[in-house]
Amino acid sequence: MAETGNIVKLLDDLAVKILLIEPGDLSSVGDLLDILEQLHSDELIGSFPGLPQMVTTLKTTVEKMIMGEFADSAETYDHLGQAVSSMQEILRDGEAGPDVIQSFCENMKKVGCAIDAADLFGFDAESSEAVDLELDTRFLRDKELLECFLEEAEDHLGSIESNILALEKSPDDTESINTIFRAFHTIKGTSGSVYLEDIAVLSHATENLLDDVRTGRHAMDAEVSEVILQVTDLLQSMVHNVRDMYENGLEQYSYHDIADQVEQVRAVQAGEKALHAVPDDAVVDEEPEPVPEPALAAEPVEAQEPPEKAAPPAERLDFLQDLDLLSGFISEAFEHLETIEVNVLDLEQNPGDEEIINNIFRPFHTVKGVSGFLNLKTINALAHSTENLLDDVRSGKLAMNNEIVDLVLGVGDYLRTMIQNLSDVVEKGPEVYKKYDISDFLTRTQAIRSGESVPVADIDTDVAVLKTPVPQEKGDKKAEVPPRAVAKKTPQSAASSSPVSAPARTRKSQVEASIKVNVEKLDDLVNAVGELVIMQAMVRHNPQITTISDPKLNKDFAQLGRITTELQKTAMSMRMVPIRQTFQKMTRLVRDLSKKTGKVVDLVMDGEETEIDRNMVDSIYDPLVHMMRNSVDHGVQSPEEREKAGKPPIGTVKLSAYQKGGNIVIEIHDDGLGVNTEKIREKAIDRGLIKKSDNLSAHDINNLIFLPGFSTADQITDVSGRGVGMDVVKKGVEKLRGKVELNSTPGEGSQFLIRLPLTLAIIDGIIVRVGSERYIIPTIAIHESMRPTPEQYKTVQGKGEALLIRDTLIPVIRLCQIFDVESECRDICESIIVVVENEGRLRALMVDELLDKQEVVIKSLGAYMTDVEGVAGGTILGDGRVGLILDLAGLITVCERKGSTIPVIPEKGEEAMGVRDEKSLKAKT
Amino acid sequence: MEAAEHEQQEVSLNTQNLAGKYLTFALGKEEYGIGILKVKEIIGMMEITAVPQTPAFVKGVINLRGSVIPVLELRTKFGMPIKEYDDRTCIIVSEVQGGSGQIQVGMIVDSVSEVLNVRQEDIEPPPVFGGASVDTSNILGMAKMKGEVKILLDVEHVVSEGMLEHFQND
Repeated sequence: MAETGNIVKLLDDLAVKILLIEPGDLSSVGDLLDILEQLHSDELIGSFPGLPQMVTTLKTTVEKMIMGEFADSAETYDHLGQAVSSMQEILRDGEAGPDVIQSFCENMKKVGCAIDAADLFGFDAESSEAVDLELDTRFLRDKELLECFLEEAEDHLGSIESNILALEKSPDDTESINTIFRAFHTIKGTSGSVYLEDIAVLSHATENLLDDVRTGRHAMDAEVSEVILQVTDLLQSMVHNVRDMYENGLEQYSYHDIADQVEQVRAVQAGEKALHAVPDDAVVDEEPEPVPEPALAAEPVEAQEPPEKAAPPAERLDFLQDLDLLSGFISEAFEHLETIEVNVLDLEQNPGDEEIINNIFRPFHTVKGVSGFLNLKTINALAHSTENLLDDVRSGKLAMNNEIVDLVLGVGDYLRTMIQNLSDVVEKGPEVYKKYDISDFLTRTQAIRSGESVPVADIDTDVAVLKTPVPQEKGDKKAEVPPRAVAKKTPQSAASSSPVSAPARTRKSQVEASIKVNVEKLDDLVNAVGELVIMQAMVRHNPQITTISDPKLNKDFAQLGRITTELQKTAMSMRMVPIRQTFQKMTRLVRDLSKKTGKVVDLVMDGEETEIDRNMVDSIYDPLVHMMRNSVDHGVQSPEEREKAGKPPIGTVKLSAYQKGGNIVIEIHDDGLGVNTEKIREKAIDRGLIKKSDNLSAHDINNLIFLPGFSTADQITDVSGRGVGMDVVKKGVEKLRGKVELNSTPGEGSQFLIRLPLTLAIIDGIIVRVGSERYIIPTIAIHESMRPTPEQYKTVQGKGEALLIRDTLIPVIRLCQIFDVESECRDICESIIVVVENEGRLRALMVDELLDKQEVVIKSLGAYMTDVEGVAGGTILGDGRVGLILDLAGLITVCERKGSTIPVIPEKGEEAMGVRDEKSLKAKT
Repeated sequence: MEAAEHEQQEVSLNTQNLAGKYLTFALGKEEYGIGILKVKEIIGMMEITAVPQTPAFVKGVINLRGSVIPVLELRTKFGMPIKEYDDRTCIIVSEVQGGSGQIQVGMIVDSVSEVLNVRQEDIEPPPVFGGASVDTSNILGMAKMKGEVKILLDVEHVVSEGMLEHFQND
């Protein structure tokens, strides 16, 4: 920062001096010379193309002015000023655009100095020839600039991808083409200026191709978009590598061969097909092999050609297409493996604990699913077979024994090795990719399963295993890698790979200035502001202060209140980000999924600008993936089926987000078959989740799929199945204090509805008093509050209490009783009733008093008190004491278990209340 | 004799790293000590918000400059009779290693005494009382100081035990 900052400062000085200078003021001209001298000697000036030459030119000009060779007039200074602003522009953009150079030269010519653009560029070109293409460390010279470039390049590459995908839908969208073109142009320019020649060359070639498309010389077709996506992927991996070198040292360098890709881009531009379509030996792809077919060079390809993948360079691996997804998967997988290991070890201690088996099963399922759509076939097959094995254990077909524990642990270790290798691939490039032989594990799994399981029940899952392509690949793999020869990778590279959050910096952009801040700092700020708000309230309500009746003080307090509220709002909003990025990842997912399943699916997105809490972004991704996968895999039918049903062959999945009340709602709607309610019911009965006699509404039955261990798909595919995903979805959403539900119209489609709180940090609540304690009830759950009349009060068998409110019988929960608090209100008709709803269950909470409605900052009760039933967290109330936020779901569960709505016959109840655990007594100071 | 000497040696090995500074406090007539490095601060008694569904010795939570921390009552924890809080009652805020990082926990004690420098040779292993009457698993050792005995408390154990019990409650 400091270094380039110096140049910026000097140029600014220069501009100001020129602006203020009076003709004839030679001493000021001398100052100009001084500044130019300093600029000239700044060692960083060399990192800007053309700038050193410009400085030299200016210097000569000014010298000549002092000597009297050039006119010293106001006009001259005007031109000089403009020349300097050209230079500032170069500095800001990090590149020397032709216009800028041109304007600089013209201005200088007007002053009288003969200079040509070639003079500036000639030198430049010479210097770039000297560049060593293998590994040029000059890009590390200006860290500030590099950081800037990386940041921007990553943004641009992201926007390119989404624009390409948009273009595939509407090929005439010139705005998208222009955006892509501009992005490549910028990458080209900036990469050149930081000496990343490879990136510059590649983006230059692509820019040329896009220019043809833009000007109509080349049609925007599938071929172009495919090649651009490939370029984007390659660039992404190169940029990623540069960042790695920048953060972790030069040894992270990996060589990216761009020659093939450049060649390919040029071939596409010339209208030729890529001829070097060698069979890709890395991973067999399902897409058709490109047919070598020479086309006429000049003729634009008008007809829509079948989507075709030009052969990637030999070492490119299919799964590297989306590095974001892949690295997400890697870190996720490591976590999952950790969970598996812990749980397996736990299981050894408590065999037969279903929850633990579920805990092992779920991560395998997730690993299977994600690896499936990332095309990581070996990992997918291994996870799948283990999952099958565990399913047998779960459903009781197999007994848990040591052999299985060993196998699962072994698989876990092996998966870890494989994923470690993947992470190496991401970091160091595809050369380090290794193939792993998993046949040993598959055979062992099969042996265990077939040895003891009922064969008939297993047929379909066995078929599913065989269907995955791995067994076919196994043959050649064995030839290449002996089963045990796979070296255990040392985990050292993992440690160095975690991207360090970038230091705060300003972005030099005219559009919007933004700054990157460490999330932790942001959280600290939000916390501190929360404190400030509380302290302000405390000071204001201090008894001593309230006695003062000074209008000035009151006015100041009001002002202080406004400022703190404003500050709080701003701090909160800083944590909000648009959901766009999360949605965009879905585009790629749907694209890949529809290719894989052979369904044609159109993804419509709506409300991407809806903002959600930054801390939710990561947690919402997993559930979304599962739901999208379900919608595409199970929801949308195949084109043939759709036509039979009289629907358009292209299925539509609509993903939308919007704000409703205090919630963010995310909807995933597909126009497929809808959910087969009857089948779910059968399955639920089959699995013992409900009884045959249970009388449930269709909606209730549909929502059973969120229970662990559910599958509606007849056929278990490697992408999704079993409905375990739905369990993950529910858990994930609930962790964010949200809700998920499924609505379905048979034959017309189904809809997932996720409701999330606006932010994780605050909750809108009503503060109620029960005895000496105060609790916060989330406003969103409250239906109404009232003082009940004796007519409304009903008892069942003299014990169970309920209130009949507008024809609905609502069970009463005496909070004082559940929470063991002394309360003066014994008679329900003297107390206040708050009617709350949780998952469709209505309850009447009996409290002593309603105190306030307030937005409160949620604080966790700390690691010591995780998962206290009935309490969602704490908050600090206006007087500095802690108030507990009620968790209604937990509260109702506690009530149901304790049976607390029972014996409160008024007179006996009083007695019962007299006997109290000492703990409930208020702590006295 | 030799065996006893051997035992003595072994014990001193076990209690090797116990020497150091201890904050001592009183519970009834007994004096306890906590390793000074585990003590974050000492605060006066303040209003405690009771948390339902927790063991009896968990008094509740307090607001310690903006963070919510749990408070345990050591008397209840050790099964001693309850005493009215007075102006000498303190909360010792201690920082211990939890499953996922440092946890701050407050402990209510009758009064705080002093900081003592305990030498290795003054420390003895906790006596064996036999039966289940006295739980010595919380005790690191006994420090003999000028004819008095200070019970050196294993704070981590006190806290984690509480958590375990709590989880079992669920």
